[in-house]
Amino acid sequence: MEYNGSAVMAMKGDGCVAIAADRRFGVQALTLGTEFQKIFQMNKYTFVGLAGLASDVITLSDQLRYKVKMYELREERPISPETFAHLASSSLYEKRFGPWFVEPIIAGLDPKTGEPFIASTDLIGCINFAKDFVVSGTANSQMYGMCESLWEPNLGPEDLFETISQAMLNAIDRDCIAGWGAVVHVITKDKIVTKHLKGRMD
Amino acid sequence: MEVLFGITGKDFALLAADTNQARSIVVLKRGEDRTVDLNRHTALAYTGDPGDAIHFTEYIAANVRLNEIRHGHEASPNAVAKYTRNALAGYLRTRQAYHINMLIAGVDKTSGAPALYWSDHLANMTALPFAAHGYASYFCMSTMDRLWRPNLTLEEAIIVLQKCVAALKTRFVASLPEFKVKVIDKSGIRVIDVKFEK
Amino acid sequence: MSRRYDSRTTIFSPEGRLYQVEYAMEAINHAGAAIGIVTPEGVVLATEKKVTSKLLDQTNSQEKIYRVDERVAVAVAGFTADANTLVTTLQSLAQQHYLDYGENVPVEVLVSTLASHKQAYTQYGGLRPFGVSILYAGWDESRGFQLYLTDPSGNYGGWQATAIGGNASNAKALLKTDYRPDMTLAEAISLVIKIVGKTADNSAMSADRLEFATVTRSKRTGDVVFRAYTAPEVNALLKKEGVLSELAEDEDPAGL
Repeated sequence: MEYNGSAVMAMKGDGCVAIAADRRFGVQALTLGTEFQKIFQMNKYTFVGLAGLASDVITLSDQLRYKVKMYELREERPISPETFAHLASSSLYEKRFGPWFVEPIIAGLDPKTGEPFIASTDLIGCINFAKDFVVSGTANSQMYGMCESLWEPNLGPEDLFETISQAMLNAIDRDCIAGWGAVVHVITKDKIVTKHLKGRMD
Repeated sequence: MEVLFGITGKDFALLAADTNQARSIVVLKRGEDRTVDLNRHTALAYTGDPGDAIHFTEYIAANVRLNEIRHGHEASPNAVAKYTRNALAGYLRTRQAYHINMLIAGVDKTSGAPALYWSDHLANMTALPFAAHGYASYFCMSTMDRLWRPNLTLEEAIIVLQKCVAALKTRFVASLPEFKVKVIDKSGIRVIDVKFEK
Repeated sequence: MSRRYDSRTTIFSPEGRLYQVEYAMEAINHAGAAIGIVTPEGVVLATEKKVTSKLLDQTNSQEKIYRVDERVAVAVAGFTADANTLVTTLQSLAQQHYLDYGENVPVEVLVSTLASHKQAYTQYGGLRPFGVSILYAGWDESRGFQLYLTDPSGNYGGWQATAIGGNASNAKALLKTDYRPDMTLAEAISLVIKIVGKTADNSAMSADRLEFATVTRSKRTGDVVFRAYTAPEVNALLKKEGVLSELAEDEDPAGL
């Protein structure tokens, strides 16, 4: 979990959700890349962010993509974020005694009702449903602190973007193996806004 | 003490691997080739447990060729890298995990766009514009941070490589007299002779 | 004891024929037809549905044309039950390829893998061949728009235009005379409709007897676009070509 370093978080707003992650790829203290993808779009409204061992981030994101595609071809409808959270959970629990070193964050809107949904799970798939925000990664304590002080209920998409960006940037500045820029996706019923944030690059 | 470099340029990728075969404090052989051509436009350089590395790279090279015959077309560097990572990640959680670190470099055979992938023995993989493996990464990532820019020409990339090796000559405890250097561009893979300061 | 007989399902006859495979192909000749045409702008697929009943729940609009991947769609002719498992196999093959290589599967790789799967069922003991022929419409970087056909024996081949199922030989004869390699997509669509109108059991067609789809590329993004025509859209096409049944015209007062 501390081999590569990462920070992922998601927040609920009014009719919208936001998910953010840092972009560092490094091995212990050595930073090698600053464009590593930790958030993956599963369908129109569902995103998953994976914090933990980079190898397992890649393996698990590929595997979840496969499972979601097969689900959607079989069911002929998009997977809801809540169903996806259970899919991620059971995929992780499958490896209960030799786990993937990954703690996912799920964020999305229900494809039918547009209801915001966020959740996190631990590395063996114990789901935590939240009304406000979820965090995961080596910077988790800093992120909790930032979210506790900045988040408030019923934020609109613009305010939610500002809140999650500030929470993310200030949290990763206090973690020496996460950061080097961040990416934020704000998901609303009619569009997804993706922005790359410049952070301290040292 | 093994060292690898990878640098991408405008329409090529460059791989360099030192040629010392060492065990503990003893140099067993000079002139060891730690690069493998996977197809006409993708090459790999490796460090790690020599037994594991040779076995694994031979397995990958053979399977990439087999898939090329089966699928009837040459796989892109991205597909080769993905396949290699999946194989390594698959073995990671078995009792026969391969201890091998790799750089995989290539170009898209139609557009000539370069690709360079860095992977360690845990199958952590990422695409990078320039990369290094082994102790070289602690010395030379900063050198490349300073000297690398997009759209390098081959001559400029060779200068970056020479400066990296010069940095190792100055501060690194081991001596690495020779490097095998490969250039991959649209016309294929070729070995080039690069002079390094003595 | 029954294994002695069951495991001998497909063996050569004294005349050197594989009857089970021939029977499977014959079964397809009684099924609703499927037609495909390749043009430089895209691929057209159409299928004829044999059994229609007013009582049939038609909420699942497409039952003979399926999307199997981002860039490949198939039209089937033969046993629906067999077709369903093969379509699932194709979907998982395509996704497995993406998992392995991080790229969409080239059309011919998908087709040849499924052909091998079908071939295996003509040879191993205790199995019967799949009673399904499949038309594949797809696009990939190396070969552009493509149309393939697999039959129960495990043979496969690429085509410019072909047909499978009932009356396929008539449809193929019509394609042979009217197909041109430089056709526009619109021309291919009207050719398909014209052929369906001529070869179907009942020349008066309507959307509940015909499924229609195209595989094209978006001019803006270059993405492959799969479009399954809705019932009103199919009726509109049929009406344009003058093969829409009067009954269906009455059912659609809006004249869509």
